[in-house]
Amino acid sequence: MLVDMAEKLFADLTTDRSAPFATLWPRVEEMGFGGLLLGEEEGGFGGDAGDAFAVLKTAGAAALPLPLAEEVFGRLAAARAGVVDVPGIVTIATRWDGGIAGRRFTGTTTAVPWGREAGAVVLTGNGPDLLVMARGARVLREDANPAGEPRDTLSFEGAEVHEVPEFSALHWGALSRSAQIAGALDRALAMSIEYANERVQFGRPIGKFQSVQHSLAIFAMEASAALSAGQAAARAAEVDAAHFEIAVAKCRASQAAAVGHASAHAAHGAIGFTMEHGLNHLTRRLIAWRSEFGGQAFWADRIGEHVLTMPPGQFWPNLTARSDVLSRAAGSK
Amino acid sequence: MLMSDTFRFTAPPGADELRAKVRELAEGYLADKDPVTRANCWMRPDPAFSLLAGEAGLIGMVWPKKYGGHERTAAERYIVMEELLAAGAPVCSHWVADRQSGALLLKYGTEEQRQKIIPGIVRGETYFCIGLSEPGSGSDLASVRTRATHTAEGWRINGQKIWSTIAHKSHYMIALIRTGSEEERQKGLSQFLIDLSMPGIDIRPIRDLTGTEEFTEVFFDDVLVPDSMRIGEVGEGWKQVTAELALERSGPERYLTSFSLLNALIRFGQTSGRDDIRRLVGQAVAELWSLREMSMSTAAKLASGEDPVVEASIVKDLGTGYEQELPRAVQALLEEVDFASGDDFGRLLAYLLQASPSFSLRGGTREVLRGIIARGLGLR
Repeated sequence: MLVDMAEKLFADLTTDRSAPFATLWPRVEEMGFGGLLLGEEEGGFGGDAGDAFAVLKTAGAAALPLPLAEEVFGRLAAARAGVVDVPGIVTIATRWDGGIAGRRFTGTTTAVPWGREAGAVVLTGNGPDLLVMARGARVLREDANPAGEPRDTLSFEGAEVHEVPEFSALHWGALSRSAQIAGALDRALAMSIEYANERVQFGRPIGKFQSVQHSLAIFAMEASAALSAGQAAARAAEVDAAHFEIAVAKCRASQAAAVGHASAHAAHGAIGFTMEHGLNHLTRRLIAWRSEFGGQAFWADRIGEHVLTMPPGQFWPNLTARSDVLSRAAGSK
Repeated sequence: MLMSDTFRFTAPPGADELRAKVRELAEGYLADKDPVTRANCWMRPDPAFSLLAGEAGLIGMVWPKKYGGHERTAAERYIVMEELLAAGAPVCSHWVADRQSGALLLKYGTEEQRQKIIPGIVRGETYFCIGLSEPGSGSDLASVRTRATHTAEGWRINGQKIWSTIAHKSHYMIALIRTGSEEERQKGLSQFLIDLSMPGIDIRPIRDLTGTEEFTEVFFDDVLVPDSMRIGEVGEGWKQVTAELALERSGPERYLTSFSLLNALIRFGQTSGRDDIRRLVGQAVAELWSLREMSMSTAAKLASGEDPVVEASIVKDLGTGYEQELPRAVQALLEEVDFASGDDFGRLLAYLLQASPSFSLRGGTREVLRGIIARGLGLR
């Protein structure tokens, strides 16, 4: 039901891709999607990681041009930090410089999703996560990722800081991007199949040619792998921090994103390369999301580190014990 | 349209004990066996190990007790299979019988066939091979020409099968044989249970490029098979084979065949401290974990009575792709490989580099699988 609601809303919000943030975002707020993971007593949905994965996958499939993932996990971080009332959006920064003195942050953050709209920014990836209030922050530079999604540089001077205990927005961001990639791959694959069945060359639909069939079969395999790894990570995140499973999910999704990007464009030919055709909203996001919140190599290094620090011969026993514990926890829900 | 996690196993009670039991059996048997012996282990026949596995109750896990089976769950069966493979146990003798032949007999066989054959499979005594390919019929399996002619005494079989793994070390073959006309293609095929000790059968091993002689060609010269050895209905062979292939394609052997190389790579990463090895380990583990999720979900779907033909094809193609890429990727990172001094790592790499092309040939070629996936996507 949650996904049906999301699907309808996101379809509405993407009919006019020139609509400004100021008209789109209030519709998301009205529906309360930002509070997806907050408890009902905090005015939220009381959803879990699986719900978040499903909604963000739907957002990815719609190529929703809004910072929903950042808001969902940013609000959760704010609530954990005991900060309830944040105007604007809560977004996440993985790249930042600066220092803290007397619970005040002075420094800059770069490539912040929708930084220009931020009421607060979660700084992550280096020590404990910090929630920095953005009142009085300056937007030094408005920029965008390859998909045209705002990625801004902000400067803070003596901004109020709250520590977010036991939280890693880096991992939640990676799980979010895995979900968005899985959704975008699913939709781009469906579009490619539809197009291959319609487009006639040499007297038959191009989807009847074996080379096209095999390219789309590979696309489907990669999309399936991204989805399976992502869903497994979301299930694990309902049990604990799930750092290993999220690392795997983002590593695998990033690998799949590149294959899907190439295959979707190959299937669509020149028409898919136009701005007018909807494919680019998905494929440009795929290449951007592939690198955000840690690319394939970043997470491969983390996984490798995790595995290499196990005692000799313990990789397989650890792997299976972990998945047995997770499956039992999911099964007892 | 994509495979998802609708079907899932929950780790059964006693999973830890079951894993420990299988590990102990495998490690006790393998003792100080080197990593080369542990690679591609489901292609290494060893009746002594199969007898031990049967004695330990690890064969016929989900089959009815009245045929000797253990009536355990599909999740427990999966645990046994993956633990045996991860250890590198030589499971080849009983693998096909346990994985698909016994299951096929339980589904389509007669009561007489089940009673006669299944208890021996469960004990680890009775071994099966697969009779599908022929010299003129590889990927185009529906073109098989080995023929069974109905006579007063039963079926008279003439023709030739090829690439049947361990036919010379098996008791039975389940063969796909033409009972109708060639024009009928799929509809003219039936399955037979063939006792390989019967007169008129000639089995010749074929040496593969790694030097082992585990696959064979099998000649049928007026072999007289009683009608009681027919499996299922006449003309239903294709349908039955297709269901059998989902069992064959989605299991853990599609991502654990080169597992001993991943273990060796982890050891190398631990001792060398090299960043590039650490990254490759991370990448390989990400793929392994994802494949395992997909394989378990497909096994759970099979266990629920569904027929996940497309999912099984996805697991096999992705899995064998990963297993073929791993030795190549390891080789690409090494400045030099010690192929010639008896070094374990070099020998393991040499073996898998040679053996891995077969991973995407046996059990259905990559090209055939992609055709099946494309059909599932609505492209054919």
